[in-house]
Amino acid sequence: MSEFEKLRVVAGYELLKHIRRKRLYVILGLTLVAELAVLILVPVLGDGYPDSVMVMAAILSIGPSLATIGAIFFAGDAIAGEFESKTGFILFTNPVRRTTLVIGKYLACYGAVTLLVILGYVIVSISLLAIYGTVPIETLASFGLCLLYTGSVLSVTFFFSSISKGAMGATVITLVFIMVISGIIDSVLMMTGQPHWFMLSTNGDTIATVYGGYEAFMGGLGGGGGMMPFELEAPDIGLSVISMVGYLAVGFLASIWITKRRQLA
Amino acid sequence: MSEPIVIENLTKYYNKFLALDNLSLRIPANENVGLLGPNGAGKSTTLKILCGLLRASSGTAYIDGVSVAEKPEQALARIGVIVETPEFYPFLTPEETLGYLGRLRGMGGDELKRRIKEVIKLVRLEDWVRVKIEKFSRGMKQRLGLAQTLLHDPPVLILDEPALGLDPRGVVEFREIIEGAGKEKTIFFASHQLVEVSQICTQVAIIDHGRLLAYDSIAALEKKYQSLERAYLELTEAPLE
Repeated sequence: MSEFEKLRVVAGYELLKHIRRKRLYVILGLTLVAELAVLILVPVLGDGYPDSVMVMAAILSIGPSLATIGAIFFAGDAIAGEFESKTGFILFTNPVRRTTLVIGKYLACYGAVTLLVILGYVIVSISLLAIYGTVPIETLASFGLCLLYTGSVLSVTFFFSSISKGAMGATVITLVFIMVISGIIDSVLMMTGQPHWFMLSTNGDTIATVYGGYEAFMGGLGGGGGMMPFELEAPDIGLSVISMVGYLAVGFLASIWITKRRQLA
Repeated sequence: MSEPIVIENLTKYYNKFLALDNLSLRIPANENVGLLGPNGAGKSTTLKILCGLLRASSGTAYIDGVSVAEKPEQALARIGVIVETPEFYPFLTPEETLGYLGRLRGMGGDELKRRIKEVIKLVRLEDWVRVKIEKFSRGMKQRLGLAQTLLHDPPVLILDEPALGLDPRGVVEFREIIEGAGKEKTIFFASHQLVEVSQICTQVAIIDHGRLLAYDSIAALEKKYQSLERAYLELTEAPLE
């Protein structure tokens, strides 16, 4: 039996695991609630929907973006859980490379999150069609960036999962790293006019800014671009793609390397 | 292969703690060998190194002549393992779990279905085959652990406290299953239960502080020390230098 066939087996059963777990449906629910909240609150709190379809598309991209954060909850226990709950005593004593196990787990997590992201973009597209009668072509770019961002978030989570003793610890560390640490450093760099294209939080922003940058976004909501104490510069898409590929590759390879060397006492 | 399990000069440190001290053992084919020793003697460490879960600080472990450290997949293909109380994915059923593990071992189709049915019947989990494992007691997980050990009909079984968590009836059933399987297989079996070991095994290795104290047939140890229990107590009470 080839390693590729084993990879298919691992990915298949890991996906089945995700489908059986409640967290998939919790994140699905959160994604739907986020989209619904935008669709209801924007016209209620403002003067109807924004004139520009691009602005509304950018606001609605919060749903798929939220789904990508769900990746942290899928992947947090992917490796750490095998050691913490000792299921590794069964799994790791099978004739399958740990590299294959990690790749299979990664693909399954990616598959589960991709399902949520696709659903998010289906809602975005249907909503835009219903409100504006059109879906901007940038939605496709936003979808692609969202999938890439999912991959980089997953890789970072896998890295923390491979070095953590427990699944909860891995999940919390990843959330803090992406939502807090990355966000704070990103803000400081932005305020001081330094380049920040390499920060994961900036990279995530491209999912929305691909529709037209921060100024168009703020202006479309009636706030204008001059409200902030510093200039908001939209992240460069090309550099963000390079950055996300970097996070994806480094996090993923590091998690494989560490998992291969980790012992289960 | 006349000696499917060979352990050569195994030494294992956990930081500065010496868990195995130059341990060497050779388990002959189709023999059931018990590994005895007090808590912390190094039994689990030995078995975990044999299963590729731990790396030895020095020395080598072989399964059917294959180095576990160098070619773990090749070595693991020849063994069935229970280490401690087995834990499974709670969201899967025994049927799905055994299907997963069987496929990882290259089984499939009707052969896999047949073997799943056989081992499930053997460990008496027929009524629970489609129930999620999250509902299982410790003893039921232990039964499922035994089922996955025998699923691919491996020539070598490595068992670490395999009857842990089983009720008295379960212990008897387990012993019968292992005795049945042991006629055609090599079994290396760590336990605290001397009675259990003497009923299943023909030979025992007694270790303490990671060192081999005795490795002989139960009959020879009983002759020398009057009983296996006395042999165990006398050998493991002596303070090591």
